[in-house]
Amino acid sequence: MHVVALYWQAIVDGGGVDLELTAIAVAVSVVVGILAAVGRIYGGKLLGGAITVYVEIIRGLPPILQLFIIYFGLSQFQINLSSFSAGLLWLVLYGVGYAVEIFRAGIEAVSVGQREAADALGLTRVQALRRIILPQAWMVMLPSLMTFLVLQVKNTTLLYLVGIADIMYQARLGTSATEQPAIMYGMAAIAYLIINLTLSRIGSTLERRQALYR
Amino acid sequence: MSTLQLWGQYLPQFLAGLVVSLQLTGAALVLALALGTLLVLARTGRIRILAAIATGYVEVFRAVPVLVLLFTAYYSLAQLGLRLPGFWAGVVALGAFYGTLYGEDMRSGLQSVDPGQREAAVALGLSNGAVMRRVVLPQAFLAFLPPGTNELSNLIKDTSLVLTIGVTDLMFQANAAAAATFQPMDMFLLAGLVYFAFYILLSRILARWELNVQRRRS
Amino acid sequence: MSSDVVVDIQGLTKRFGPRTVFEDISFQVHRSEVVAVIGPSGAGKSTFIRCINYLHPFEAGRIRVLDHELVGGGGPPSKATLRQIRMQVGMAFQTFNLFPHLTALGNVMLGPMETKRVPASEARDKAMALLTSVGLADRAEAYPRRLSGGEQQRVAICRALAMDPEVMLFDEPTSMLDPEMVGEVLGTIRGLAAQGMTLILVTHEMQFAKEVADTVVVMADGRVVETGPARDVLEHPTSERSRTFLTRVLKPLEAAGDGQASGPGATTALGGDHP
Repeated sequence: MHVVALYWQAIVDGGGVDLELTAIAVAVSVVVGILAAVGRIYGGKLLGGAITVYVEIIRGLPPILQLFIIYFGLSQFQINLSSFSAGLLWLVLYGVGYAVEIFRAGIEAVSVGQREAADALGLTRVQALRRIILPQAWMVMLPSLMTFLVLQVKNTTLLYLVGIADIMYQARLGTSATEQPAIMYGMAAIAYLIINLTLSRIGSTLERRQALYR
Repeated sequence: MSTLQLWGQYLPQFLAGLVVSLQLTGAALVLALALGTLLVLARTGRIRILAAIATGYVEVFRAVPVLVLLFTAYYSLAQLGLRLPGFWAGVVALGAFYGTLYGEDMRSGLQSVDPGQREAAVALGLSNGAVMRRVVLPQAFLAFLPPGTNELSNLIKDTSLVLTIGVTDLMFQANAAAAATFQPMDMFLLAGLVYFAFYILLSRILARWELNVQRRRS
Repeated sequence: MSSDVVVDIQGLTKRFGPRTVFEDISFQVHRSEVVAVIGPSGAGKSTFIRCINYLHPFEAGRIRVLDHELVGGGGPPSKATLRQIRMQVGMAFQTFNLFPHLTALGNVMLGPMETKRVPASEARDKAMALLTSVGLADRAEAYPRRLSGGEQQRVAICRALAMDPEVMLFDEPTSMLDPEMVGEVLGTIRGLAAQGMTLILVTHEMQFAKEVADTVVVMADGRVVETGPARDVLEHPTSERSRTFLTRVLKPLEAAGDGQASGPGATTALGGDHP
């Protein structure tokens, strides 16, 4: 148990790094994701097609491979990103690929009648999107956005492979020092469990609150 | 050496890695479907304690990253006396996680069947087994297919995690080749092409199958 | 008299938690009798008819269908009793409830093949004969979503008839249909009555009830408020409760004049659909 006391602080520090990276990456990918979703729906063949291909590539390649391409692959062309930038860049690129689909589905879930009503009022496309469509899409998207958030937290486990000092990194360090993998990975599991269960709890509270407005 | 020559040289190794990835996918899929079925039975069954255990299992295993499960299956279990080979540690970790997803997909598939269907089948005098087999399951399957196939393509990608415990799958081969050739981008791109070709192939086949099942029924 | 009683209901009482849906309902249905159960919405008619084949359990009373008896209050009946009753009691639902993954033919074949182990070829012949008798031979290979509401309901009736039931239950079989399809379904039911099938139907089609039913049971506020020969009850109701109900339902019909009012009734001419 002495080991737990010794390494718990390191795990908590790692959790801080994970959360920081997740927060930045999710914030950026939500903003870019909305724009890209609008581009995919209204952007015509070329832009829409390009975004579709991007989404397919992000969804078709294993996360670990994407990360390695950014960190190791680019070094072949003398582009040497720091661990942190490579990790963050990957989380953003990956996140955008997922966020586009979430927002597209949300926007398309709003009925045609709503769009027609907005058109009939003379709203511009941006107005209709901001005032009519996104507020309604929000409710539809909330569960998938929460799943997305949890997915990104889980994705940070890969970042130790490029040398970012996250939870996994600390747990592996601790394992090699103590030769007690059961305790170290158990602690890592508990840390992730706390983070992700808290996030889903917040998500379901939000959903319930949103439901009240309807 | 030119990129193409390098690719030609390493392709056999990559394909051998792909075979390992596919074996891993197959074994993990079988485990996940079996586990998912058990979870659904437990959660919809009448024994309260089993239902609570299944619900707890789903909550916990959905929240813990697969990589943590993988290290637990490989390193922690070994410390506790159960030494699994890397391949089987991968099967256990992936199966344990994807079982929760498949369980949820099956459950919502079952819930999507209109209660009137069960009622009509019961009114015909069908036994409970026949109501399930002939009426409920065929319809639940249709609702299960889209999320189920989506989960499968995620499972294939997640097998790449076993690189971290030294299983010689496609990702492992790519990483080894990247280190040996000092041309990491070329090697990872080749791996990407193989993964992507397989992803496209599989998603097209599965989509066609889904469409066929749907079309046969309308 | 008792020898030709097909369904015997005594003191039937149904509660959902603290709420009493209906209580102390008793009547008998004789062979070839057509009983129409009418009454305001929320009177528990649909729940009541679902008790007859035990789709809903009930808290007190008893239901006997030929030689098999269901008793309320005690635990669930034996599987064998339930099976026997459900094989002898056919049912058509308000929402049809056809199995969407099976063709019209597949829907009609399923019951006999599963419960009576009838060989597929035999079940197919019988199903085709039934579909032909309701004018749907050419729709046999169609899936439910390709059928109109009226066609779906006729297939659903065939599905129940394929089991050779002793009695058929109809739970508002036409209330989900567009007006122009009501006639074809009522025509099918009328044909069954003419063939001597025992029928219990919950319906809002008063004109139809008056023409086809032998007996009318009026349910209101969870009780049977009046029972009697169809014409007597519908034209000269004795209980206050059924009088208010009937004035409310029949008034708009009469006010609308002949053309609209007898819509469903006028479809008597649609005899072509009869088996």
